Amino acid sequence: MVKEKLHVLSDGGYETKGHFGPYGGAYVPETLVPALRELEEAYLRSGQDESFQKEFRELLQRYVGRPSLFYEAKRLSEQLGGARIYLKREDLNHTGAHKINNTLGQILLAKAMGKKRVIAETGAGQHGVATATACALFALPCIVYMGEEDVRRQKLNVLRMKLLGAEVRTVTHGSCTLKDAINEALRDWVTNVEETFYCFGTAAGPHPYPTIVRDFQAVIGHETREQALKELGKLPDAIIACIGGGSNAIGIFHPFIPDPEVRLIGVEAGGTGNKTGENAATLCLGEPGVLHGAYSYLLQDDDGQIVVTTSVSAGLDYPGVGPEHSNLKETGRADYVSISDQEALDACSLLCQTEGILPALESAHAIAYAAKLAPRLSKDQVIVVNLSGRGDKDVETLAQYLEGGADHE
Amino acid sequence: MSERLKAVFQTKPAGVTRLISYIMAGDPTIEVSLRRLRGLADHGVDILELGVPFSDPMADGVVIQAAAERALSAQMTVKKTLELVQEFRKTHNTPLLLMSYLNPLLHYGWDRFVEDAVEAGVDGFILPDLPWREGQGLRTRTEKSVGNKLSFIPMIAQTSREQDIEAVSQVTEGFAYVLSRNGITGGEVEIPDNVSVFIESLRDSLQIPRCVGFGIQKAEQVRALAKICDGVVVGSALVKAFAKLDQEGLEEKDLIEQEKEVFTWLASLKQ
Repeated sequence: MVKEKLHVLSDGGYETKGHFGPYGGAYVPETLVPALRELEEAYLRSGQDESFQKEFRELLQRYVGRPSLFYEAKRLSEQLGGARIYLKREDLNHTGAHKINNTLGQILLAKAMGKKRVIAETGAGQHGVATATACALFALPCIVYMGEEDVRRQKLNVLRMKLLGAEVRTVTHGSCTLKDAINEALRDWVTNVEETFYCFGTAAGPHPYPTIVRDFQAVIGHETREQALKELGKLPDAIIACIGGGSNAIGIFHPFIPDPEVRLIGVEAGGTGNKTGENAATLCLGEPGVLHGAYSYLLQDDDGQIVVTTSVSAGLDYPGVGPEHSNLKETGRADYVSISDQEALDACSLLCQTEGILPALESAHAIAYAAKLAPRLSKDQVIVVNLSGRGDKDVETLAQYLEGGADHE
Repeated sequence: MSERLKAVFQTKPAGVTRLISYIMAGDPTIEVSLRRLRGLADHGVDILELGVPFSDPMADGVVIQAAAERALSAQMTVKKTLELVQEFRKTHNTPLLLMSYLNPLLHYGWDRFVEDAVEAGVDGFILPDLPWREGQGLRTRTEKSVGNKLSFIPMIAQTSREQDIEAVSQVTEGFAYVLSRNGITGGEVEIPDNVSVFIESLRDSLQIPRCVGFGIQKAEQVRALAKICDGVVVGSALVKAFAKLDQEGLEEKDLIEQEKEVFTWLASLKQ
């Protein structure tokens, strides 16, 4: 019934490319339509351009430090009892998260397209830092939109962006988080479209962004596949990744989609509860709709207004999700679950104390679900967790938690 | 196309051009927006645009963002917007277009929405996040359901490529909403001098009437545009004028008097 009611946009066939089943598309103001087509054309050209691909590969190796480690978390696995847990160490990338894979690719595109100005949105600040980094490397001016609430809770990243020469513009309307930063970046883009490149941070938004971001992040999955085969002689039994917009998850999932024996599990932010407004568990609790240029799952109220979300993790605090994830949910290829703030904070301590690794609060959601799943599996089974970022940026939030304060809401 | 909308372009405009106004439904209340719709129609506005509030209006500047926030905090909904149109139709025949982002309408249920819109007396839509080529499915579905009673007004941007303009030029009814410049609604960004060159360039490719909007707030802009297009849209400037009155905390009687001055100012734009 829900599908019948809502999949009306694709009635009569898909007019444009960039659909994942019924999801995706490019629902943007007319002014942006040619810019998205120009981006798509540049992206398709880059795929055929050997020198572009070579430059991108070399940057990933020599600048980011790829391939990232495929690390067996033995003490964590032992303590949980059950499956062997491996961590894909995206936290060890330059700038401390997976985001840099995508921004280097996009900034190379910006350069190829002759754009003179780069804008970006950021939630946790990791994409903002990664964009500012790539812009510094290629001498492009960079403006990052960030919600006031996120500026407050991710001070370290705000400072890093400024040190890297970026201008951080604080967004003070709506919920003052990632969704409002995207609105403001889109308003900037539609106004300055001709000279501006919008470096989008997650595998969401209008076509071609979900495809571009996925392809730049798929390096995570390709490496994982190769490393698993080499080290284990088989594919993993389950892959777990956290989901805000879903870029680290689609990056590690994508090369495994044709392998039905590999379970794919996306972990959303369960926040403080299941009621509207208490979480950011879009795929678990939302319904399809249109936000930020794509038809995908959304957290919305009875009148189709987007609701304010809650999560201890700024990077997951988003009421939308990438359209390819919506389709993986619809086809049943991937499962989506949620983890509460408290469970994520506990998992953060658990990983620190068993492995000496401080995960980002985003990635701690994936660890928390692995901790639930591992005891239910046998010792010869393998779980891979995408450890998408490191937790240095979260120390203030964690300090409040350690002091027993519940001030993280 | 509805007879109401057709009639606007079959006759010569009163004054220098046709005037299209925009206000947000439910800003600040349903009763006040109804009174303002009636006032606008009585003061010579040719086509009314009525905004449906949305939490994330990415194509709008600060003035209309604030109007949407006010309407939403006054509990405005899609259903109440349709009831407002129905009430307006009891007394007025001026064509009325809903301007809305997709999500609230999709969530209402598109098929039910178009039926209810026709019944309420809506004449068509302007959907800022539905570009023309992406809209084929929705247009086909709407036509199957309610025939051609509801017009989808296409938008043409300065950045539009020839192929997009060609696609729109297949449209045989209604009018094209031509954007005066790149960007969002509101007067913060100036209209560039080359706008007339752009509008002139559409003369051959676009067979339907061309109405220009975004950033129009002065009589001299209207006079200049009147020579080269078929109508102008005044949105943010009008929303801002009404919002200013609402903030003054006037007695209802005084508010009604002051509103008349806004209507008169708007009507004067096309003299």
